[in-house]
Amino acid sequence: MFYRTAGQFKTSYKADQALFPVRQDAILLMVILAFAWVVFPLTASEFTFQTLLIPVLIYALAAMGLNILTGFAGQLSLGTAAFMGVGAYACYKLITIFPWMNPIVAIMLSGIFSAGIGVAFGIPSLRIKGFYLAIATLAAQFFLVWLFEKWAWLYNYNASGAIQVPNIEMAGVWISGPQASSITQYYVVLAVVTIMTILCINLTRGTLGRTWKATRDMDIAAELIGINLMKSKLTAFAISSYIVGVSGALFVFMWRGAAEPNLFDIQLSFRVLFIAIIGGLGSIMGNYLGAILIVGLPVVLNIVPSALGIPISSATVEHLNIMIVGALIIFFLIIEPHGLNQLWRLIREKLTIWPFPH
Amino acid sequence: MNDPKTGDILIHWEETMKKLLKLTSAVALGAVLGTAAVAQELYAPNLAYRTGPFAATGIPLMNGQADYLNMLNARDGGIGGIKINSEECETGYSTEKGVECYEKTKAKAIVTQPWSTGITLQVLPKTNVDEIPILAPGYGFSPMADGKVFQWAFNTPSGYWDAASMILQYLQGQGDLNGKKIAFLHLDHPYGKEPLPLLEKKAGEMGFELVPIPVGLKEMQNQSAQWLQIRRERPDYVVMWGWGAMNAGAITEAVKTKFPMENFIGVWWSGHDADVKIVGEAGKGYKSISWSFPNPDAPVMADIKKHVVDAGLTQSNEEEMSGVFYSRGIIISAILAEGIAAAQAEFGTAEINASQLRWGLENINMTEERIAELGLDGMVPPFSTSCSNHTGHSGGWMLEWDGSKFVKASDHLMPDTSDYAELIATKAGEYADANAPWPTNDACEG
Repeated sequence: MFYRTAGQFKTSYKADQALFPVRQDAILLMVILAFAWVVFPLTASEFTFQTLLIPVLIYALAAMGLNILTGFAGQLSLGTAAFMGVGAYACYKLITIFPWMNPIVAIMLSGIFSAGIGVAFGIPSLRIKGFYLAIATLAAQFFLVWLFEKWAWLYNYNASGAIQVPNIEMAGVWISGPQASSITQYYVVLAVVTIMTILCINLTRGTLGRTWKATRDMDIAAELIGINLMKSKLTAFAISSYIVGVSGALFVFMWRGAAEPNLFDIQLSFRVLFIAIIGGLGSIMGNYLGAILIVGLPVVLNIVPSALGIPISSATVEHLNIMIVGALIIFFLIIEPHGLNQLWRLIREKLTIWPFPH
Repeated sequence: MNDPKTGDILIHWEETMKKLLKLTSAVALGAVLGTAAVAQELYAPNLAYRTGPFAATGIPLMNGQADYLNMLNARDGGIGGIKINSEECETGYSTEKGVECYEKTKAKAIVTQPWSTGITLQVLPKTNVDEIPILAPGYGFSPMADGKVFQWAFNTPSGYWDAASMILQYLQGQGDLNGKKIAFLHLDHPYGKEPLPLLEKKAGEMGFELVPIPVGLKEMQNQSAQWLQIRRERPDYVVMWGWGAMNAGAITEAVKTKFPMENFIGVWWSGHDADVKIVGEAGKGYKSISWSFPNPDAPVMADIKKHVVDAGLTQSNEEEMSGVFYSRGIIISAILAEGIAAAQAEFGTAEINASQLRWGLENINMTEERIAELGLDGMVPPFSTSCSNHTGHSGGWMLEWDGSKFVKASDHLMPDTSDYAELIATKAGEYADANAPWPTNDACEG
């Protein structure tokens, strides 16, 4: 009833293959985009920008990059944080070596460095699979973070070993650094994330995406039907690392403002992996749902007691928060092991046929 | 998945979610409206860490801070007749949570106390734009001493370069350092690297050999490789810049490898009673430089006992209250309270704002008499701040573990600030350049 697809006839192949063949999906997306582009920026406070909107978008983008590799191409990676770090450090070096460079161009270029390193560490995937590959990517994680610590050129020989984002202007507006306003940074992040999402949706629907899925489902069969596994796996590594690298550059330049090497530690890798798994491997929308649950929910839970006037100490709130979020993760995984995206798909299916379950 | 039951559950679940959503939006609205209400109090939040891997060191500090301000609220009705709201925002020492707390509190806060070097690094450039003083007593960035460049940042009463200078001075007093070898065991993190520029400079001048030995964040609890290196190098002294689990790790390892404890010296964050208590008698002789000292007979302790402990308002306990870190918490709050009082006196209003507090923190004058007046006898050395000097360079004492507690092992030591005045100016200038446009305080003459 709410999601009635009856009467929506497709008269051409083009219409049948459209991105959103069901009209309600397109309307829903429009509503979400309107919220993201107009309503949130108009109503959000500084706090909401900095702790909810911007981080959720950036984490969703990182998870989307990982999802290309793990969810679509079936190559488990534990090195996401290191690849984010490569993007961030590359962007920092680009900006400091070429101060005239447009920051958005620098962010986009920094993904290329990350893609190159991703391919290099993806080469073992041609010989090893599954958990063994995870261990190989773990090597990337530890090696790269070690490199960020030891290679002083990367942080311009700064005594503290950390990188600081400079104030950068574009067309008379501060885009990064402490002078930049949250709303500008939000729009930059939103624009990049929107473009990347469109790119990802189309990539995963096209030849490349089908090649990846074939590789994921059974690589020997894929090889037998003529898929070049090397090309398939390495493109997955390259594109995934590119997106992850861009998200890393956004992470530091549009949100954190400063970074020390151990920011890109394995905890961050796991965090992104959890977002991808809870959101749903092999989906695009799941990354957003996962990021909202893992990044957004703790922030909201934190303000609930004080907003309701319940006097609990903030340390207790933090303990409760960890328990509640942990319990929710288990709850969602029991209800739907395939992630929040699958949950949404089921809800949508039920709504389509409602009120006549079959 | 096609049975009707699951469908019902899902629809029911969706309804619940809708209700939840409504509830959360109502709550969020309440939060926005709630902050609009004006309260007769000064809001001085603390970005505390009572959870997470560093909680063991965080809790005594936070308790000391809270107890002192609660005591002022109970005894004097606050400062200048206005209560202090020293609400805590829990960070768990995580930078992400810290920034969240900063954003949450900055609208009303007159001060921000970031507590970790990571959070300080992130918040420091923002405070310059948001114009909120950042109080980082004994931590943060050493060049913050330059008040002209770092208008909004205060690392009173002592910075890390003061600590390094005092430690070297103390060691020199034990015998000429020329030709000696000092191992510098430090956390491989911005915090641990902080004194390196000064130590390297002094190594050249004083003729000692400096062997920096970094300890990675993952190796904090297992430092066998580092201590093997120390055994091989046979240094005359080991100077430690450690935090959290690293301190206990290093001290137990030193005992295990039979390193002479009297030649082992830590910075003030490595002087936590609980860390040395693990080895007890074996840790005898271990030293730590400090700008605070627990004096159980000080009048302030009696007042805290009367107004806070007996009233059941404390989260602390007897054993913790006799420790170095609890008393350091008290001193930190006392510095903040002095800044508030100075600002109130200057501007003639009890309800000061953030920029007035900045003036106050720049004009703290902790003389011996004032320290006695506040009841902090022997707990902090005298110091004063000015618009160009945001540290105060109080100096400190060398504390020594006597097997069950820390005792003073030296007279009041003063750092040789002329040694690194130039270094402070250069590093501060570099920071300002890298963060241009960075407004500095050009009106400051001192």
